[in-house]
Formats: sequence, C-alpha cells, structure tokens
Amino acid sequence: MRLSTLLLGVLLLPAALTAQTYDLLLKGGHVLDPRNGINAPMDVAISGNRIARVAENIAPTEAKQTVDVSGLYVTSGLVDIHVHVYTGTGNKNSYTGDRSVYPDGFTFRSGVTTVVDAGSSGWTNFPDFKDKVIDISKTRVLALLNIVGKGMAGAEKIEQDMSDMDPKATAKRAKEYPDTVVGIKSAHFAGPEWASVDNAVQAGKLADLPVMIDFGNFHEARPFQELVLDHLRPGDIYTHGYKVQVPYIGEDGKLLPYLAQARHRGIKFDVGHGGGSFSWKNAVPAIRQGFWPDSISTDLHIGSMNAGMKDMTNVMSKILSQGVPLYDVVKMSTWNPAQQIKRTELGHLSEGAVADVAVLRLDHGRFGLVDAQRARVTATKLIVCEMTLRDGQVAWDLNGRTATDYRQAHGLM
Amino acid sequence: MKTIHLVISLLLAATALSADAPYELLLKGGHVLDPKNNLNAVMDVAINDGKIARVAPAIDPIEARQVVDVSGFYVTPGLIDIHVHVYAGTGMRGAYSGDNSVYPDGHTFRSGVTTVVDVGSSGWRNFEDFKDRVIDRQRTRVLAMLNIVGHGMGGGAIEQNNDDMDAKATADMAKKHPGTIVGVKTAHYRAPDWIAVDRAVEAGTMADIPVMVDFGSFTAERPFEELVTKRLRPGDMYTHMYLGSVPMLDANGKLRPYLHEARKRGVKFDVGHGGGSFLWKQAIPAIQQGWIPDSISTDLHITSMNAGMKDMTNVMSKILSQGVSIYDVVKMSTWHPAQQIKRPEFGHLSVGAVADVAVLGIERGDFGFIDVRNGLFKGNQKIVAEMTLQEGRIAWDLNARAAQDWMISYREQQRARGRGRRGAAGAGRGTAGSTIPRRP
Repeated sequence: MRLSTLLLGVLLLPAALTAQTYDLLLKGGHVLDPRNGINAPMDVAISGNRIARVAENIAPTEAKQTVDVSGLYVTSGLVDIHVHVYTGTGNKNSYTGDRSVYPDGFTFRSGVTTVVDAGSSGWTNFPDFKDKVIDISKTRVLALLNIVGKGMAGAEKIEQDMSDMDPKATAKRAKEYPDTVVGIKSAHFAGPEWASVDNAVQAGKLADLPVMIDFGNFHEARPFQELVLDHLRPGDIYTHGYKVQVPYIGEDGKLLPYLAQARHRGIKFDVGHGGGSFSWKNAVPAIRQGFWPDSISTDLHIGSMNAGMKDMTNVMSKILSQGVPLYDVVKMSTWNPAQQIKRTELGHLSEGAVADVAVLRLDHGRFGLVDAQRARVTATKLIVCEMTLRDGQVAWDLNGRTATDYRQAHGLM
Repeated sequence: MKTIHLVISLLLAATALSADAPYELLLKGGHVLDPKNNLNAVMDVAINDGKIARVAPAIDPIEARQVVDVSGFYVTPGLIDIHVHVYAGTGMRGAYSGDNSVYPDGHTFRSGVTTVVDVGSSGWRNFEDFKDRVIDRQRTRVLAMLNIVGHGMGGGAIEQNNDDMDAKATADMAKKHPGTIVGVKTAHYRAPDWIAVDRAVEAGTMADIPVMVDFGSFTAERPFEELVTKRLRPGDMYTHMYLGSVPMLDANGKLRPYLHEARKRGVKFDVGHGGGSFLWKQAIPAIQQGWIPDSISTDLHITSMNAGMKDMTNVMSKILSQGVSIYDVVKMSTWHPAQQIKRPEFGHLSVGAVADVAVLGIERGDFGFIDVRNGLFKGNQKIVAEMTLQEGRIAWDLNARAAQDWMISYREQQRARGRGRRGAAGAGRGTAGSTIPRRP
C-alpha cells in the first residue's frame, strides 16, 4: 500500500510540476480592492472557490482558463445589505410575501453575490424564510431579523404591535443562526414611541449584532437627531440615508452638524434606495458637502425594481454621478457593508477569500438617473456589470467572455 | 436666478395650458415599427385613457399633457413573450410549478415585454392556484397554456403519467378561462409513444385553441418530422426550434425539406431559447438558409435567466445578429405571437388598441451572445428597452426620459407645497428626453 502510494506520488510529481495551478485567471483588469488598498492593474487567479493570487502579470499558462478583462474593473462580489426577498408565501401586499422578490434574477446581473434581507422576517417566521428562499438561492442570502416577531407581515397593524417586539426571543433566534442572521431591523413604525427602536437595540445588545433602522414616520415626538445621537449604538446603521424626511441642510445651506457628530459616534449611514427613500434634494447637497454614504444598498422589492432604483449598479452610478470616486463607490458596496454586518471574510479579494467577484464596466455617455420623486440627474458615467463569479463559478457573463467561439465549441472548426 | 424663474414659469404655463389637451402622453420623434399596420417610419404616438389615440407624423406637442422625446429610438407594440415559466411561490422544489419558475414583473418591463404566456407550468388541476398566486397579482399581462398533464410541470414522474393526461378536463378548464388560457402544452415527455402530443392536440381541438409542443426526448419511434408534418394541426406551435436534437440539416448542410412542408401546413416555429434549447450550430445555418422563426420567445426560468438567454431583447438581438431585419424581429415578437395565441387585439399600435408600448434602442458596439453550450457569436448590435408602457402607464424608464431635471422638480414641488398641494404631477413639456441611449 505504502509502496503504491509512493509510486503514485512519483508518477504524479512531474504532472504537478507542469500542471496549471489555477482554474480561472481574470487577466488585464483593474483591481479595486479597498480592504487591501489595491487600486491598480492586476490579474486575479482563482482555484476552486477561492482567490488564489492577485498580482501583476500572472502567466496564462498557469491557468486552465484565462478570461480577458482588460478595460474592466475587477472587484469583490458586491454586498447589498438592504433587500427584501422573503417571497413565495402567498401573503398579499407585504414584504413577507408578494412585495418581496426572489434574489437570483436581480443580483448576479448586477455584480451582487451577497444580499442581506433587512427585516422581512422576524423571529417567528425566519425558519420559514430560510427554508423557502435562503436555502434554495444561489445568491448568498443573509438576514436582519425584524424586531416584530411576525416580520413585515403588514405595516398597518402587525408591524405596529408593540407586544410582538420581543428582544429576548429575537436575540435567541439570531443566536440559533449565527451564519445567517447578521443583525436586527426596525422599520415602518408609525407611533411616536421609541419602543420599536429601543427593543431592536436591546435585541442587538443581547445577540451582539448591529441594528438597522428604517425610521418609519418622522415625528416631532421622536426626532431623527435623537435616534442617531442617543438611541443607536456605534456600529448601528441608519438606512434610507437620503430620504427626503431626513433633516440635512440648515437655513444657511450647510450640512446640519449633528450628522457629522453621529458619524463620529460610529453610526453608519446606508443608502437603502427603495421606492421612496432616495431624494436628489438631499443626496446632491449632502454628497457635495462631503456626507458620503458608508454603504450603498438597493432596498430591492417590487416597488423599487422597475422604478428609480432598478438595480445595485444603477444605485452605485447615482453616487458616482455626484463626484464620489469609483474606488470609494466600490468600497461602499463591498468592504464597508461587509464590516458593518461583521462578515469580514466577505467583501475583498485577499488570497484565500471566497471567490465572489464582480467584473464591472464604466460606460460613458449621457444617462438619466431618477429619484423617488421622479426627478432626474443626467450623468455621464454608468456602472454596468460584465461578469459575476459566485464561489468561483460563473454566475453572469453579459458578453460571453468565458465562452468559446461557437464553431470551436461545437467542433465545426 | 431671474432667468431660472422665468424658465420655470414658462414651463408651468405650458403644463397648465395643456391641462385639457386631448392626449395624456405623446411619444415624439420615434421610428414606429408596427408590422400589423405595415408601419415602418418616423411617427409620433399619442396615448390617452390607456389606449393608442393616434399614430401620425408630427402630432403637435400642444395636444398632449406630457411629451417624451424618443427620437433615435424605435417605438413598437409591447413585446409578447409566448414561452415563460412564472408559476413560482408554491414551495415545490425542482419543478416549474414552483422553484424553477420566477415572478414575471422583474424580468418583463425592463426588456420591453408587456404580455407573457406561461406554457404548461400548470395543468387543469392547479391552474386556478397559479391564477390566484401569480396571474391575478402581477402587473405583467400573464396568459397561460395548460399542460396536458393535470398537475402541470410538477417534475419527474408526474409529467410522464399518461393517466393524468385528460384532454376533456383540460379543455373544460380552458373554456372556463377563455382569453387567459390561450393554448395547451405538452413538454418533457420521454416515452416513445405519441400519447402526450395526441392528447394535447385533442384538448386543443375541443377547446379550439392551439397547442405548443416541447418534444421532450427525441426517440426513433416518434420522429420529429412526423410531429410537424402530421400530428400537429395548422396553427399549432413547435417551440425550441433551434434545439440541438431537431433534425435541421442534411449531410450536405442543406435545410431538410420537411421543415418548409411543415410551415406550409401552417405549423408555427417558436424560438423558446431557455437553458438548453438554442444552439448557434443550428440557428446560424438555418437562418442563413431562410429558416427564420415565426415567433421569438425566451423560455424564461431560473436557469435561463442568468445564462445565454438573459432576457427578451437579448434573444431578439441574437436573431438580429443573423441578418434578420429589426422590422421582422419586432414582428416575431409582437404581431406574430399575438396571432399565434389568437389574441389579435394585442401586438400592434392601431388606434383604440391597448397602449402597451416598447421603446427600443439599438446599441452599436462589440457584443457577445452565447448559446446553451457556451458557444459564442460576436455581434455588433444589441436591442435595449429604453421605455415600456403598459396600458398607457410607464412601467419602465431606463434613462428617466419621462422625468424632469431634479432642480426644476424641486422648485415646482416647493411652489406646489406653497399652494397647499402635495407635489406637482407629472413632468412638464419640453423637459424630457435630454438623454441618449446607454452605450458601451
């Protein structure tokens, strides 16, 4: 037995020396990997489902397949931390049902490999969500649990029921699924109380997870300033960052100082575009005065997908249109959100990291980008997704870069 | 500052002046392709009350409450995709009556499609569940062909069960939902007998609706040639026309004559691209020899959506890449399929027709189109949906052509709020259409 193993080893040795080390080589692209401070032309080699090497001039002979991505940007697979994908339940008019969408038809074509469902489910129906969607999707689907036990089963009544906001039960469920549940969500709360926010934060403390807030109705009784300055903890996230109700600009036309204070405390501001939560009126002056998003996310659902939001690269293009450099836009869509959800193994192209990769193209022309109030900014650049790899496998290939000429593929030449 | 105010006042004045204009929306300056009405020229399209109100050269903008500049684009009827799988949300794994299907609205409008036909995901036993879960809740117009299998595409042995292929029950259900059920489907059948095809045709005959066939396993006992020259009736459809298994070319590379015979009989050939049913090896020589599709369809499902198929305009671009004219490609995606499913009120821009409209751009550049075995064909034109209207309402607007510049919108909204209203409605004349197509 030993002898044969030895013999086998000897026989395999020469083969190993000449073998192609990598399964796939993305050659000639410009790598944007903010986690590792990379912003340069580099090749990316992949073995199995892992990033094997990122370096200048990796020889094509070292790879089984080489894909030319020159002229394109190579980034980590995009991480969209605000989506609604708990569908397939038959529930009408709610995000625990018909208002959600299945993720795979929206993610890969837009460079996204990881999404976070932000509170469509709560602790009572999360297992059903996991069974119906998370476990069958090719997209990596993580989740924030709604502080409401029944999740977003109806904004009129169910989501207002303060007796169903149980921090202990929510934290317990989160701890049962540490690989999947990455935070707590409060959303759509209409009342003047702080119950929804405070219970979410309490659950976050118990489970040691961040909280994401959609502030629901903006009330004088619970000012937004107080939310981000007092109620949230460092690391907690306010989504719908450029929603029209958020107080941004003072009488003097300057950014209100509490925003910088909140950021200084460690509160994260997420885009969460959605159907009604992105307004140029806030985004344009805020970004021009330096109040950039920490993270870019879509708030994908049936009301946003065909409106101003469209998809992740479209929302990224909006931030880009206001003069934020592409490197930073990518950071807000990869490494920043990965850190925010404490999943630091994602969102970068370090050697050994999972091979979730986006290959992005920057188109030049004139593009209309519309907000939730049907107001348009005309941009000159647009981010388009050329290719997406998920776990090392091609999940999207817009122009057949990984394909072979059909005559060769079919043995006709 | 004064100038800005003047411009805004003028814009508002124009909006106010046209408040009682006869048309809600005017698509101005586009090139109309409307094969039913033989239109292939630059024309304006006016829409009112969800219907096409007028198609003519140079309609005066003053007659419309909103004008959208679509010059440089084609204006066509809303696209009709007669092969999709959208019976999602049942929780069934590995089946088209479940997890292999998708909800249509996220795939249709962004690709110019306003009507889809689910072909056989459901059968007579579960059609009403499908109707309740999907058809009645989606914005896309969803029509259906009933699978000859009562349980539809439940997967595995379910679809092979001859005992569940009941022509009468299928026809009865079809007659109960006329207009929504537009045909009968057979698919995925493996046995060497003709039972699935013949029962489907029997049901189609009883309900007076066409049959669409996915031939399943191609076996020597039931030759494809016999299917299209004998078993199917005139008006019946074969989908997956460029599938690798279809006997297309003879030993000399010439198109087999039975295909023309079948077409002459009235059998229709549909693309039905899907995840495994479109090969360049078949499509290229066939189209070069004139074997073009009657209808273009996607076979949308979870596998095809992210592979070579992608979406309706991508599949149309593939046919365009082989030298078929844009006019004919649009005909294969509008008026032809509408006739094939006997819904001739759709697929054209006649005055009075429902205002389902696609505004399509043709981008020029280097594009790769892949078939179902990762075979690549490089083209230099790609069809992109710039806008989609469904029943007169904007369902997709890629470059915000119907929107207003944000500065103008906000000043208007502020003024409107000052007047105690909640925001100004719609965009004003002359403000839209400053964008050009997205290009690589």
